[in-house]
Amino acid sequence: MADEAKPKKKGGILGVFRDIVYGMSSHEMTRHAVRTRASMEHLFILITMGDLLGVPILPPYYSLRLLPYVTPQIAGWKRRMLRERDVTDVLG
Amino acid sequence: MSLRRVFESQPDRRYIMFGGKGGLGKTTLSATSAFWLARQGKRVLLFSVDPQASLSDIFQRDIFGQGPVPIVENLWAQEVDADRRIKDYQEEIRKKILDMYGFEKVPEEIDNYIAAASAEPAMEESAIFDAVVDIIVRGDYDYYIYDLVPLGHALYYLSMAKVYDEWINKITKLREDMRQYDQVAATMRREDTVQEDQILSELTYIKERINASSRILTDKTRTAFFFVVVPEEMIILDTKKAAALFAKFDVPLSGYIVNRILPADLGPGTIPPYLQNRIAMQKKYLDDIKGAFGNEVLAYVPEMERDVTGLAMIERLARRLFEEG
Repeated sequence: MADEAKPKKKGGILGVFRDIVYGMSSHEMTRHAVRTRASMEHLFILITMGDLLGVPILPPYYSLRLLPYVTPQIAGWKRRMLRERDVTDVLG
Repeated sequence: MSLRRVFESQPDRRYIMFGGKGGLGKTTLSATSAFWLARQGKRVLLFSVDPQASLSDIFQRDIFGQGPVPIVENLWAQEVDADRRIKDYQEEIRKKILDMYGFEKVPEEIDNYIAAASAEPAMEESAIFDAVVDIIVRGDYDYYIYDLVPLGHALYYLSMAKVYDEWINKITKLREDMRQYDQVAATMRREDTVQEDQILSELTYIKERINASSRILTDKTRTAFFFVVVPEEMIILDTKKAAALFAKFDVPLSGYIVNRILPADLGPGTIPPYLQNRIAMQKKYLDDIKGAFGNEVLAYVPEMERDVTGLAMIERLARRLFEEG
């Protein structure tokens, strides 16, 4: 998600202009879409891999089939699900 | 209508299941039917997923976990080893993780999860379910005869397809929504299309398999489900209840087979009162069965003078059941 703030496209003066327009108009929307997508990803992993937290939801036989694809996300997801929430959560 | 007529008049019904309480002769009847169909030149697979499967016993040879084993010409029998299947499956998942990310070993947390998931009771059941799906969707035999485990379980397996299907539908929907957000973000950033979602393809694969098998198992033109009963009060009551439950899950119930009928020639002559009572009792319950299931009864199977094990005995019973009416 780190690269969301710096669109990588290069293309001379026209490219710079395009980036500026992008930043002014649709960057916020993109950011929102990406964030929503990330929340859904967490929800998805909760539904399929809930067993990891002790919440069995999907039959384990089929959730194992999906495990290889979410392996990299597992650590971050557990941290997010189990950490305490505070007021800073609503910021940023 | 006789059992033979049922098979002959419905040649498209290639998936045959025998259900009923434990010990009523499901295995005997499935083996006998499989044997007879094979004799008619059909390629038949008789299979069981019961961990205490009795196909090995009835054919008097060990076939557990060995895949389809040829028994006589055109007849194969298979007993699924669920434990083995789970172990192989775990190994497959581990290998996939190693291959996908080039890890030396599977991360500990992930490995623990794989081990823990496999220890759950639901795991064995879903593994068995998946094994059945595997056998059914392949479709390379003329007949599939499924020697079901006792009723409660049978119902569970059959309902599982429905439950799984609903789950997978929900998850797939979520995944599809996620993909839309990916696309929105990509379009706004003027990127090319997003890469293929492998999870979505996995889910679609699971969904299609479950659908395919539940389509088959609930299709009256392709599947026949026979209930085995014996003339005893509790069994009759239980069967009525089970039949009502089965109807709820759209299982195509095709008829009843009454097993263990005492031979009629026992009647006359001097016989001990104990046997007289048994005969009178059976007669009463046979009337009950006729009253309750009427012309849905496809066969009355006599109690044989010895256990039905071994091919010679199966052949004899097949002749009684299919040739002599």
